[in-house]
Amino acid sequence: MSAVEMLTQLVFSLGQAAVLAAAAPLTAGVIKTAKARLQSRRGPGVLQPYRDLAKFLRKGSVVSPTTSWLFAAAPGIYFAAAAGAAALTPVAAALVPGRGAGFADLFMLLYLFALGRFFLALASLDAGSAFGGMGGSREMFIAVLAEPAILLALLTVALPAGGTGLAAMAAAAAGRSWDLAAMFAAGAFFLVLIAETGRIPVDNPDTHLELTMVHEGMILEYSGRPLGLIHWAVAIKQLVMMTLFAALFLPGGPSDWPAAAQAALLAAKVAAVALALALAETLTNKMRLFKVPAFMAVAGVLALLALVAQ
Amino acid sequence: MDRTFVVKAANLRAAANACASRSRHGLLAMFACDERAQSGCYAIYCLFDGRWPDGLTTVKGLVPADGPLEFPSLTPVIPAAAWYEREIYDMFGVKPVGYPELRPLVLHENWPEGVHPLRKDFDARQEVPTAADRPFLMLHAHGEGVFEVPVGPIHAGIIEPGHFRFSQAGESIIRLDAKLFFTHRGIEKAVEGLTPDAALPMVERICGVCAVSHALSFSQAVEGMTGTVIPERARWIRVLAAELERLYNHVGDIGNLGAGLGFAVAVSNGARLKEGLLRLNEAVTGNRYLRGMVVPGGVAMDATAELRQAIDEALAAFEPDFAELVGLFKENDAFLDRVNTTGVLPFTAARELGVVGVAARASGVDWDMRRDKPYGGYGELDFAVPVRRSGDVAARLWVRVDEVHQTVRLIRQALERIAASGPELAASVPAAAAGSTGAGWSESARGANVHWLMMGEDNRIWRYFARSASYANWPALTVAAPGNIIPDFPLINKSFELCYACLDR
Repeated sequence: MSAVEMLTQLVFSLGQAAVLAAAAPLTAGVIKTAKARLQSRRGPGVLQPYRDLAKFLRKGSVVSPTTSWLFAAAPGIYFAAAAGAAALTPVAAALVPGRGAGFADLFMLLYLFALGRFFLALASLDAGSAFGGMGGSREMFIAVLAEPAILLALLTVALPAGGTGLAAMAAAAAGRSWDLAAMFAAGAFFLVLIAETGRIPVDNPDTHLELTMVHEGMILEYSGRPLGLIHWAVAIKQLVMMTLFAALFLPGGPSDWPAAAQAALLAAKVAAVALALALAETLTNKMRLFKVPAFMAVAGVLALLALVAQ
Repeated sequence: MDRTFVVKAANLRAAANACASRSRHGLLAMFACDERAQSGCYAIYCLFDGRWPDGLTTVKGLVPADGPLEFPSLTPVIPAAAWYEREIYDMFGVKPVGYPELRPLVLHENWPEGVHPLRKDFDARQEVPTAADRPFLMLHAHGEGVFEVPVGPIHAGIIEPGHFRFSQAGESIIRLDAKLFFTHRGIEKAVEGLTPDAALPMVERICGVCAVSHALSFSQAVEGMTGTVIPERARWIRVLAAELERLYNHVGDIGNLGAGLGFAVAVSNGARLKEGLLRLNEAVTGNRYLRGMVVPGGVAMDATAELRQAIDEALAAFEPDFAELVGLFKENDAFLDRVNTTGVLPFTAARELGVVGVAARASGVDWDMRRDKPYGGYGELDFAVPVRRSGDVAARLWVRVDEVHQTVRLIRQALERIAASGPELAASVPAAAAGSTGAGWSESARGANVHWLMMGEDNRIWRYFARSASYANWPALTVAAPGNIIPDFPLINKSFELCYACLDR
């Protein structure tokens, strides 16, 4: 790879990270508003997450005196990991074949998420509050179960692509047809998406009940700017997962379309995923915590079936 | 007719035990009264439903003020007495001897030792220094890997203050203890020296969502004491108000159960239905929570023909909506998986602890004051008392659902009876003789609210005691929660629908 080529790739990656980070709160707002409408409420509008973020980032923060540097560092690391993952997401590759994310593979992407989660879980223990510890322990419990399922699901795309490079996977996925394997794989990844983004039936992002919280319990000690950073990172991670789902598991769109049309199609797919998440959250309630392994097992089995069906 | 047996303090346990074994339900309430001015004694009153169908049975134990301030604890033989005895010890300084691990209940660590606010020589207007630092013992579990999760008194949601201490092994609850009474208002003390009419607004405000029931229990206590017979129309309007209260409470509670497990559709549907009923309440009484309707001697407002028709129409519109709400729960596996076998309150625990209302009837305790100690005309009406046996969150939900149907029937019957009755709304209540006592009770949406009054000179209250349904039911939560996982606790808690304000009277 020449120096110019590398520079172009870098610009593409940073550019798409910026776009994803800017659009992430909007996605969260769309999900929230769709949920509100489905529950016959009006909802605060799709731009509310931006207002929330602006408020959080302006505010001061209260920090428990028992915390160490970990507590202060974790939000930054978590945000950096999410932003890094956004840079690696094969968005450009899905739009313009051969552009962006050429150097990233799926393990790097997944373990960036794992890195962020690791530090947030450590920080949740740092303040010594019971809720933080409970949240952290539950988050790791779910993560351990979700990891094999997410890998299996992604392997169904990596196999035909002949490697775990994300750009190659996106290119392979774009040419895929809606066969049985693709359906199984999409189903598997959707379940993983729900678990990874902390949504009903695995976790409830809107609850005020401390004892039931998973992700929210972990960050209960945070306030002000660090909390805003975490909320933003969560929204970015959610959008990255949704984009992965749309780019790798929802085939469609002839590859000879211009980039702008491809981009519009991708955005429409992501919006459809947002509506599907809102619908899933409305149709069901949170499951018992110890039923989550069964839920992740279903995702794993679906992914295995997809591998077999290929 | 109420029957009272007066015994020496030393014989209290034997007498109470005899009454309890002859009662169907058992101990209804227990409290002390400072009667040093009358007889030189503190009196310990124990109210039982008793063997006679028409009134309660009271055992009154006398503790001479010049002797040791103690009486034999009933708790070892009647577990339902546990909280009452702790409260008597806090409020009067009269000690239940033989109580296992006696510890404060109402007065927390900041309250000075030896200050007992319900004694007559405690002036309610004085300022009490609250810088004390007494130990406030809470129950724990010990063992390897056992840790404690303290929750509250300030919560993430907008609810009343309560501190819970969970002893945990991983996610499993081993033991639970609660510290409540954070916002005690001293209403029992504040109404002393007031006439019943002046006390009513305070009594009605003990609890926001049991206003009718508390006003009804209080009014019936006053009426029983003074021999007042209320007009027929007032009786049926009271039934109407009490059942409207049960209706909006049950509907709100049923929908709100969804909040415990993130089932947002049920929550918003329940909230919508409840709002409709609250607006109906406002049309009927001018108050969304039905305040100001029940007064000693009768009712304050009429239910006119137009209002009755509005209620009838509202009920007709309500029934299909409610069926839709229940349909969200029924045959919904994801939901049933969460509520079946969760938070079981066993029958024996419900009986022994004197649990009342929906919580008792969901655990197989077939007890409803409206049927078993009929008051205010319920004896003439046709309704069933739904009972379930499994004692879990689901059972408490289904009992509420069944009761809603019975309540709709009762409201329709009350409307017919109002139409057929004379126009008089209230009888005048004569002044009560000094020293006269009376008990009143009603079945609220949460269970029996029992009020007791003793009058002093000039028709002024000497002692007033209110035992709310939540007071009887809170201890049941510490039985139902252990064995479940801690993320299920909010759901279990919601299914009991316990009220903090009803304790902080």
